[in-house]
Amino acid sequence: MANSMSIKGTREGLTITLGDEELGAMLQDLGRHLGMQEAFFRGGTVALRVGQRALNVEELTRIRDLLTEHQMILRTVVSANVETGQAAQELGLRNLADSMAIESTEGGEPTEMPPSRIAHGTLEGTRGTLVHHIVRSGQTVRHTGHVVVLGDVNAGAEIVAGGDIVIWGGLYGTAHAGAMGDISAVICALDMSPLQLRIGELVARPEEDDPRKPVAPEMASVRGDRIVLEPWQKVRGV
Amino acid sequence: MPTRVITITSGKGGVGKTTTTANLGVALANLGKRVVVIDTDIGLRNLDVVMGLQNRIIYDIVDLVEGRCRLRQALIRDRTTSELYLLPAAQSHDKSAVSPADMLRVCEQLRGACDFVLIDSPAGIETGFRNAVAAADEFVLVTTADTSSIQDVDRVLGILETEGRQVVGLVINRLHPQLVRRGEMMSPDQVVKMLAIELLGVIPETEEVLLANSKGLPIAYDLGTLPGKVYDQMARRLLGERVPHRSVLNKSPSVWQRLSFWRRG
Repeated sequence: MANSMSIKGTREGLTITLGDEELGAMLQDLGRHLGMQEAFFRGGTVALRVGQRALNVEELTRIRDLLTEHQMILRTVVSANVETGQAAQELGLRNLADSMAIESTEGGEPTEMPPSRIAHGTLEGTRGTLVHHIVRSGQTVRHTGHVVVLGDVNAGAEIVAGGDIVIWGGLYGTAHAGAMGDISAVICALDMSPLQLRIGELVARPEEDDPRKPVAPEMASVRGDRIVLEPWQKVRGV
Repeated sequence: MPTRVITITSGKGGVGKTTTTANLGVALANLGKRVVVIDTDIGLRNLDVVMGLQNRIIYDIVDLVEGRCRLRQALIRDRTTSELYLLPAAQSHDKSAVSPADMLRVCEQLRGACDFVLIDSPAGIETGFRNAVAAADEFVLVTTADTSSIQDVDRVLGILETEGRQVVGLVINRLHPQLVRRGEMMSPDQVVKMLAIELLGVIPETEEVLLANSKGLPIAYDLGTLPGKVYDQMARRLLGERVPHRSVLNKSPSVWQRLSFWRRG
């Protein structure tokens, strides 16, 4: 059975476009999808595109609760239907008319931005977040764009980014770049001693018999089907 | 001087929170401060044993918060110093017998009545930790130099920092200088660099501390020992004195220390 529902990750968050099928079946489908990729979507914000579909408060609440169950926040409803728009407002959600006007919306927190750019293509000008402190064990930084940390990322801490990860400090925890499947993403750190590196679907962990190497900035990227580490000096071609 | 409520915590168990609490309490009392130490490890109390007061307990903290006694009745005076008091945990019950609000109430009563309240936290980051953390103005963290313990302290630091709490210092406990010299244990410098907080003091692993604990006479009473001296320095640092850190690494015990250990044995 064809289902025209789609889920797209953008640098600004997740866009879920509802299809024309019966709502219950579609929500089941959505739940299954989110369940599979929960690790990344968790904590993210969602823009819901409903097109012409009329949704009342109750139906919208069902969708919101489903997302909450998967630890995601419904922020924006994009619709061309008046009833849906009113329901969204009643629930305190941001309501946008479904038109190209969305593309020009600017300003505000990156996470509150409606989806306007798709993850493919150039990383230039995409959004990111700057973390100004040490990231400690048990803490997680998630962002659909790039993540820059000024400080160490300690063992037990986790950085998950849709784009690149740059750590101006030591990486001793786990970093996952290109978490929405972008294998052109890179991870840089001044001291690269991670528990684990991930880019896209690939996972690497440093060799355990690695003797204490001198501390130098390094960059991890994907070559072929594996993650490779290179000294920053070499990357720059110096 | 307004009362300072300091919680001693670590995340991981067995790193020496209780030993640190007892000894800091003794060291501060030795410097003429009036100190109350509180054991919040309800169900697994230990602080009374380390201080040698286990046979004097009549009321405990659960009795106090449930209204079976008044604060003064629950406080036990130390055997050696008249300026040091213990509020013991209950050995029955569990952590849920006391709430963060109860801890706030108890500490509110103690504010103004003493110079320091030291709260000995249980291991973990759940209910018991929440109780121990609720009323504190400041925090002292305890770790050993092994990776798991450091990672747990890091976790606790993250929690406290997120809540905007003030961490005053790190105690590195049970350090094996020989292992550090051989490069098989992290050095205090490396630990401090990793955690990015102020160092309060380094206590080497010695038989003296273990024996003192089982005798119920905290080592801080014995300024002739290295740990005793370090606890004294830590207390002075808490009071704002600038005491330089002396490395515990390059110093093997002097003949005199060996002899004094002999005598006590």
